[in-house]
Amino acid sequence: MTTWIKVARYHLVDRLSYTAAPCCLLAFHFALIVAIFKMAGPTMDAPGGVLHDQAFNLVVIYVCFMILGLLAIVRSLPFGLAMDVSRRSYYAGTAALAVALAAVYGLALTVLQAIERATGGWGMDLHFFRIPYVLDGPWYLTWLTSFVGLSLMFIYGMWWGLAYRRWNLVGLLAFGAAQIIVVTGGVIIASQVHAWPTIGRFLITLSATGLTGLLAALAAVLLAGGLSTVRRVTV
Amino acid sequence: MTPTISVGGLTRRYRGQLALDDVTFDVQGASITGLLGRNGAGKTTLLRIIAGHEFASAGRVAVLDASPVKDEAVLRQMVFIREDQAYPDLRVRHALRVASWFYPNWNHELAGALVADFALPLNRRIKKLSRGMRSAVGIVIGLAARAEVTLFDEPYAGLDAVARQVFYDRLVTEQAEHPRTVLLSTHLIDEAAGLLQRVVVIDRGRIVLDAAAEDLRGLQTLQQIVVDASRPQRERIAA
Repeated sequence: MTTWIKVARYHLVDRLSYTAAPCCLLAFHFALIVAIFKMAGPTMDAPGGVLHDQAFNLVVIYVCFMILGLLAIVRSLPFGLAMDVSRRSYYAGTAALAVALAAVYGLALTVLQAIERATGGWGMDLHFFRIPYVLDGPWYLTWLTSFVGLSLMFIYGMWWGLAYRRWNLVGLLAFGAAQIIVVTGGVIIASQVHAWPTIGRFLITLSATGLTGLLAALAAVLLAGGLSTVRRVTV
Repeated sequence: MTPTISVGGLTRRYRGQLALDDVTFDVQGASITGLLGRNGAGKTTLLRIIAGHEFASAGRVAVLDASPVKDEAVLRQMVFIREDQAYPDLRVRHALRVASWFYPNWNHELAGALVADFALPLNRRIKKLSRGMRSAVGIVIGLAARAEVTLFDEPYAGLDAVARQVFYDRLVTEQAEHPRTVLLSTHLIDEAAGLLQRVVVIDRGRIVLDAAAEDLRGLQTLQQIVVDASRPQRERIAA
């Protein structure tokens, strides 16, 4: 058994966080949407209705993955390093867990989407697991996009956790501020060079596959950023 | 012969504070070395750097002739039990199970016997344990790991006298049957004196005494020796 797998198993000892929490949160959100839908009637899901084409229905599971990534570092790193695992192995094992969980949960979302389609939106034309444009294609693309998106969020959460572990609260705030500066700087530069029409055209023509590729590239950047941060983390 | 633990010119500065100042010492082979000193002397910082949990500002540390930060093989042969160990939300049995995966020489029988000795409730969450019980969890891991290099940083904080005696007895028995390099930091100096084969006294980040315990016996109590060893530096600083 390699150290990476041992690290992943160490996280999974806390089964409640990694299995029950995402499932329960998603189920609760789904039940809430169904209840609202039933109370308000189908007009809620009609074009222009509150629930129609809601791109944020699945946000709960993505946010949950980010929190899990954060906890995997903030809560579990001290005892993990006490097991005399190198920082790099701990990071790699945790990232491997992120990928494995994303694959499984991505598959679950794909299956639920298929059921939603087959039952005519749970018998009431509800679009919960279908996000237009992003998660509305063939099953394999739904799985791939979910997989990449969930991995990305977990890894992003890990990086936040590492920033906190390495630089404490002040560093965490600086880490957040640095991201705001990067995004704002990008917006300003795009405005100054009049790049918005080009960016708009790019986004309009970008396919779901292309978007998944972009997210995968971003996940790789975040993974590299986290790796550079973990090298000098102390516990 | 290569020392098991080799520390040379080790310095650790925090903002405006010198936690370790040019610390140099070696630990050779299977033995129990006491790292003694007052609160804030630098014992924990030194052990954290030896374990690779903290980084030095200057100097070098080698454990089994390799860097404890980079070498995975060295890490697998080392266990570091610290007083302020933070645990995730695990039950006692989970923590022991996790430890058994990581330490190649883990002994389940010994772990079971120690759990019985300390009357540890296996199904209780660690965060619900008393301070002494949490220390006992660390001691179980530290001894059952049977790691070639075992670092204990005040391992019995909160433990009662009976439980501390259990630890001393088990440590002596283990050392006889499975010799290893133990570095034990404590300020219960006279209580642990009988265990120690070597004494390293640290005060305000500097090594002020490094001697075989045998050479110190009969002179005065070990506690008095530590107080005396710390005095010149305190007086110098005061002057």
